[in-house]
Amino acid sequence: MDGLVLGIDLCDEYTQISCMQEEKSWTVPTVICKQKNTDEWYIGEEAYAHTLIGDGIIVDKLVKLLIKDGTATLGENRYTGLKLLELFVKKLLELPEQEYATMHFKQLVFTVRKLSPKLIEALYACCGKLEIPRQRVHVLSHTESFVYYVLSQKREIWNNLVGMFDLSEDRLCYYEMKVNRGLKKNTIVAEYENLEEGFNLDILENPSGARLADKILCSCGERLMNKKLYSSVFLCGKGFREQDWAEDFMKLVCSKRRVYMETELFAKGAAYKAADYLNEKTSYPFTFICEGRLHTTVSMPVRQRSGETSVVVAAAGDSWYENDALFEVIPDNQETVDFVLTTLDSRNKRLIRIPLEGFPRRPNRTTKVEVRVSFLDDRTMEVVLKDQGFGELFPATDIKIRQEVML
Amino acid sequence: MSLWICRQEAVKTPYYMDVLGIHLFSSQELCYVIYNYPLLVLDDFVDDNLLDFLRNELNLGFLALKIERWLKSSENPDDVLVMILQECDYYTTPEISGFRQHLQAFRKLPHAEFKKKKADSLFAISQFGKARRLYYELLGETDVNPGSGLPAGQLWHNIGTCYARMFYMQKAFQAYQKAFFAARDNRMLEKLYYLTLLDEKLTMDEREASLITPEQKTAWDQKAEQARGNAGQSKTMRELEDLFGRDPIKRQAGMNRLITRWKKEYRSMV
Repeated sequence: MDGLVLGIDLCDEYTQISCMQEEKSWTVPTVICKQKNTDEWYIGEEAYAHTLIGDGIIVDKLVKLLIKDGTATLGENRYTGLKLLELFVKKLLELPEQEYATMHFKQLVFTVRKLSPKLIEALYACCGKLEIPRQRVHVLSHTESFVYYVLSQKREIWNNLVGMFDLSEDRLCYYEMKVNRGLKKNTIVAEYENLEEGFNLDILENPSGARLADKILCSCGERLMNKKLYSSVFLCGKGFREQDWAEDFMKLVCSKRRVYMETELFAKGAAYKAADYLNEKTSYPFTFICEGRLHTTVSMPVRQRSGETSVVVAAAGDSWYENDALFEVIPDNQETVDFVLTTLDSRNKRLIRIPLEGFPRRPNRTTKVEVRVSFLDDRTMEVVLKDQGFGELFPATDIKIRQEVML
Repeated sequence: MSLWICRQEAVKTPYYMDVLGIHLFSSQELCYVIYNYPLLVLDDFVDDNLLDFLRNELNLGFLALKIERWLKSSENPDDVLVMILQECDYYTTPEISGFRQHLQAFRKLPHAEFKKKKADSLFAISQFGKARRLYYELLGETDVNPGSGLPAGQLWHNIGTCYARMFYMQKAFQAYQKAFFAARDNRMLEKLYYLTLLDEKLTMDEREASLITPEQKTAWDQKAEQARGNAGQSKTMRELEDLFGRDPIKRQAGMNRLITRWKKEYRSMV
């Protein structure tokens, strides 16, 4: 094998790895354990085993620990969330490494429940420590992985509307994906709803709890799927490994619908995307509107040789995290830097004007402004304007304007 | 009202523009100096160094080649400047047309007037050493050809001002004296008087001093006092006061920076 192409679903309860080449997968509880008095680390079931026999100290909920900037004291040492995640990822990647006897990662796509810059940066840092180049590491939301998984199936499965219930340890989530056909490009709109009705899977262990769970699912199903025409419905998560307890719910969803079960859907979706990164031309020629992608196009009216024109800084459907535009402009009798925000349907346009407050007064067209546009999430754009002066003729100052714009 | 998007130019080695004593880091700066200082770039500006800068740093190889061929042909070399402006997309077409007309107008000027304008341009950008040399050259030419039309008094005055700006008070004083005797202009007396206030070693001779009335002296003293007051409130003075108000480490670092800047500016102007 000349290199691994992996999709990794990283959650607080479990982590799944899906290997693209041989469709092999691993599911590991997201826990790490340090053996007492040694520097040996174990993850998953091995970690539980060492903790049970009493020679190790275990840490769980590694994602949450990282997001909260938490630390854990194991033995005499205190470890940051990042360090523990780094150790966990290192041990995790040893699984496919040992299986295929290669340490070369061609593409690595992580998928997480909620995208946050901190988590994304942490994953990049973890892979950086393992000397995996940054351009081979990507992070997707679960919603996006769901879309990639579905689009990788036969066309009739995603022709129209696709729904999915994800029932995991203490979380019930409904995902929906729709294909909007356009003149130039088809758009995939996907969203999810974290249902308040989520329950702990432990209640399934007794009959009355199971009946209650079935009832909860039925009421959610009726509310969410009412009168909608689905091409297919997916069920995923640990809760659906066995469906005996959900008799009524299964009747409801299976009525005149194609229903599929897939327990490693997110990891597989990520693996499909990882494989797609290796292609010169994408196998998914769609505009994606979902968590992790921008819903708005950001452009800038500028002047070029040919006259007035508009430069697209970020397009709807672009990944907000990977979008980081840096360029320079020279205002001509203008004391603002303007952006135009356009919604996907092009119906709503909004002009955002950022005044160059505090910039020194100079002759016209002798102030270069460095414009950096990045995104804090799919709804927040960050603009940083920096005075670059005009060479030695009009030296730059330290003046910098930072503004957050709600999209 | 608009925003101009800049070309991506990763300039590693800037172009040193000798006549202005500055480095140019972009095509926009190059266009700016061509457009704003046409007299300084009309002759001998386009050389191998500039062509290398266009080719290697600004990634304008095609333009460099076009210019090379143009210069080898018998076409008007001034058009090369217009070519640069057109290619770099920093000025509009009407602005470039206006620039072309200015160039043509300059070329129609008599030699001495052209040279005087060039010296004045240098003076305007604080290149006093270079300006003074040109004024001297013009003086020499006026001596050889008295009908060239440029009054010696004015040239001596300009030379004096160049010297004064470079803090060569003695030479400035002598130049103003010559300007006074060439033009018999009382304004020169005023300047001579101010120089005596700035430098105690300088004294006006009896003949000059006798021409100053007590009223004039009082008025000039008041003006000098006011100028001193204004200088005390200037931005530079405020910066200095601010610097001396800081703790010793920051003060020393700030002073080093300031002295370096002043030295650089002085070297450039001389």
